[in-house]
Amino acid sequence: MKPEGINRRYVLRAALAAPVILGGPARAAGTIQMISHRYPALEHYAEVMRGAVPGVTVNTQLMPIDKAMELATIALSSKSDTPDIVYASDTTFQTFVRNGWFRPVDDLWAKYKDEFKLDDFPDSVLAPFRHDGQLYVMPHTLNTMMFFYRKDLFDQQGKAPPTTIAEYRDLAKSFNSPMRAGTISCLKPVDAATNEAHWYLNALGDGWFDNDWRPSFNTAKSVAAIEMLKEVTKYAQQGFTAAANDECTIALQQDTATMGLQWATRAKSMDDPNKSRILGKIDWVKPPQGHGRMGGDGYAISAFSKQDPDVLFRIIATSAGQKSLRDAASLMIPPRKSVLDDPDLVKANRFYPAALASYESGTRAPSLPEFNAIGEFVTRRILQGVTGEMTVKQAMDTAASETETFLKGHGYYK
Amino acid sequence: MRGGHRTQIPLFLALAGFTAVNLTPVIWGFLTSIKQPVDAFAVPPRFIFAPTFEFHWQVWVEKGFWHFLINSAVISVGTVVTSVSIGTMAAYGLSRLSSTTSRGLLFGLLAMRMFPHILLAIPFFVLARILGLVNTYPAMILALVAINQPFTIWLMRGFFVDVPHELYEAAEIDGCDAWQVFSRVALPVVRPGLWVTALFSLLLAYNEFLFALVLTGPDTKTLPVAIAEYGGEDINYWSLSAAAAIGIMLPIVVFMMALQRHLVRGLALGAVKG
Amino acid sequence: MLFPLGYALWLSLLNYDLGSGSQEFIGLGNYRELLNDARLWATLLRTVGIVLSAVGLEFCLGLLIAYGLYRLTFGVRALNLLLFLPNIVTPVVAALFLRWIFIGRWGLVSGLLIGWGIFPPDFLGDPAWARVTVVLADAWQFTPFMILVLYAGLNTVDQSQIEAAQIDGAGVWMLLFRIMLPAIRPLIVFVLAIRLMDAFRFFDTIYVLTGGGPGTATETITLYTYALAFRLLQVGKACALGVLTLLFVAVLVATMIRIVYRREKGAF
Repeated sequence: MKPEGINRRYVLRAALAAPVILGGPARAAGTIQMISHRYPALEHYAEVMRGAVPGVTVNTQLMPIDKAMELATIALSSKSDTPDIVYASDTTFQTFVRNGWFRPVDDLWAKYKDEFKLDDFPDSVLAPFRHDGQLYVMPHTLNTMMFFYRKDLFDQQGKAPPTTIAEYRDLAKSFNSPMRAGTISCLKPVDAATNEAHWYLNALGDGWFDNDWRPSFNTAKSVAAIEMLKEVTKYAQQGFTAAANDECTIALQQDTATMGLQWATRAKSMDDPNKSRILGKIDWVKPPQGHGRMGGDGYAISAFSKQDPDVLFRIIATSAGQKSLRDAASLMIPPRKSVLDDPDLVKANRFYPAALASYESGTRAPSLPEFNAIGEFVTRRILQGVTGEMTVKQAMDTAASETETFLKGHGYYK
Repeated sequence: MRGGHRTQIPLFLALAGFTAVNLTPVIWGFLTSIKQPVDAFAVPPRFIFAPTFEFHWQVWVEKGFWHFLINSAVISVGTVVTSVSIGTMAAYGLSRLSSTTSRGLLFGLLAMRMFPHILLAIPFFVLARILGLVNTYPAMILALVAINQPFTIWLMRGFFVDVPHELYEAAEIDGCDAWQVFSRVALPVVRPGLWVTALFSLLLAYNEFLFALVLTGPDTKTLPVAIAEYGGEDINYWSLSAAAAIGIMLPIVVFMMALQRHLVRGLALGAVKG
Repeated sequence: MLFPLGYALWLSLLNYDLGSGSQEFIGLGNYRELLNDARLWATLLRTVGIVLSAVGLEFCLGLLIAYGLYRLTFGVRALNLLLFLPNIVTPVVAALFLRWIFIGRWGLVSGLLIGWGIFPPDFLGDPAWARVTVVLADAWQFTPFMILVLYAGLNTVDQSQIEAAQIDGAGVWMLLFRIMLPAIRPLIVFVLAIRLMDAFRFFDTIYVLTGGGPGTATETITLYTYALAFRLLQVGKACALGVLTLLFVAVLVATMIRIVYRREKGAF
């Protein structure tokens, strides 16, 4: 008896028989698939989407961003007709559009302008979601890094929140104690570390790139900026090299860190008695010297979707409608002007003034489709610099030469 | 024969101590699942707190995890049945081949186990799309069978090698054809081994995440994928993940308790000839 | 059944880059590039270190406990079940459980040490500790597998051989090393081979615990593969790296089997 024979025959038979036996559930024609990153504001939008258009079933799948992006990458790179609606941040959208995975929405935008009051979105909000003049994304949130600090501790010592990074470093040093770190630092590769480095590079250094997309993160000023970051981590909480937003949020909530940069979407949870031990003790200002990372997310329509684009657009326009945004207003900064300016909401969310100031002084990520990929090796090198595996200068130079090689391979510098 | 009472008590205590340390993460995970985040991540750790089953309730009732449990069960049972049947027959075949040939075949199959699974996810997805099987049970079952097969064959082969050749010869003289020799002579002898193979296949199928993420859809989503969806950003979700993780262990624990006698005997019987 | 592997092999010969959309055949170009890549050798070396420490620890610990269980006359079944539990925890969450144990300050270990007045080291942030933690994490998840298989193996050793040795005055340890271990050699090869193969693919736990950091202290070859495929979107190159990993592990396992069976041809 030949074993391979059994195998092949068996697999074939199983493959043929199984769908019949198990009645492989065919996808209902009306079901629309949506895939997204997950945090509370996005959960709210998913719920709105599920009931947005009567008679249309929307299946929403929310998961941590790296898993969601893996899944979307695998599906869209093989031109699968699902998912139909895909989450996009101001950085992931660049890569997806460049690969031809998203459908431009200008036609639909014009068609539904009045029905959904789309003029309400300021152009500054839409600009980062344009590529070659075409719009791809319906914005759902604005987000920005703000400076969180313990007002009670600052008041006790008669200190004011820092206005420069050097002041911030000195304050971190003076507040640092074994049981309460001077500051949070979130340097887990890739996203968290990119965001933190972004602030130092833009506030103190020459930013990420010059106008020809040559790296400027290894100029003398930029290296000094990363040296400053390294110095500040001396007063950071334990495990900061593996800390992402969650760990940093907990460090603040559990009273084990004094201050630091964190996303506006995290502000509200500082006052949640189920999560926080420092109710009402945190206050916010814009990041010292500005230039904190800002961005936003929204939803785009897949270029391969076989569903009716009008229906898909109605769904994302409803979840980004005035009512939906107002209901989620405590969980993010709303991208519509009419909601943003609502005095009641400003009163109900005491972090709003600081969030707006941070947003106005913020800096976006470079509009480079390869930025996410580049973040991979740049943050890796920055961490090698911070942990002393090499000098900061060496680290940034190595990262720069890796970046140039990578971008050259993608058709830059010609 | 195995040492007197004087050594038994310290030995037991040592082993029990190790077991306790070993279980700490699981117990801590359980405690986390019944705390509010403010208590769960407190410094220093809190052992006295007001327990809440809110997260367990949310997982199983509000978020409808029982639905994913059914999916997981269908996929696991499908995988175990298919994989153990193929494994048994293939292993039987191999055990009767010369050892050089069987070694070559086995190593070829094991290649699948050594290749990073994250990269196999792409081909599996492409294949499932060509066959139109995305978001169906068979796609997931086939992928899991493919991944699991080398292991089951290797394990089962160990059991068959143990069967004395005289048994086969006797059966052939009695006029049994090849199928009868397999089903009437070899199979009954290795039955305990089947349980062991089934357990390991079950564990793999039940806990598999990566392929499930890519190959299942809303109708076929399994528990690990459902849990991973809460892996992220807000710390409320951490309590949910903990609650779900503790919950989905239970079916396996029950299965193991039911089978424990078979398990140890099965392993003892077979794998030795690896 | 080997289709997915074949497909990956085919991709490894392409310059398949999702970022630039190119998809041309470049033969062994990816392999040539990787073999000249310092990052590959550094991660490979680090992976071997982590894998060997983890599997070694699992085997020694597993054998010790299995032998303890073997000599124990009561409560074995309950202990066996409890010891196996860590292996059942869904890997997705197992890493999160461990993170809650090891993370600085509010992690259980740190918290307890602080409670006892000891200032704890930074388990995930200090390069040396991070490696230790990653090894411990793998051992926590997979020692149960070793225990179960080795325990079952010890039970198969011929009782008459053991009695003969005891009459000759062999002690507890002598018995283990002289009689029992040689008797279950095939089983040992089996568990070590399976664990080596799996440990090389070890990904989730490291990804969640340290993300490969601090710096590059715990970056293993699978993390590199992941970065290539899903960060840099160079799928062709990632597949080539997968094939190289496969070859390396295959040679490692084959060598191990050859060493153990030097004298007995065809016993595998």
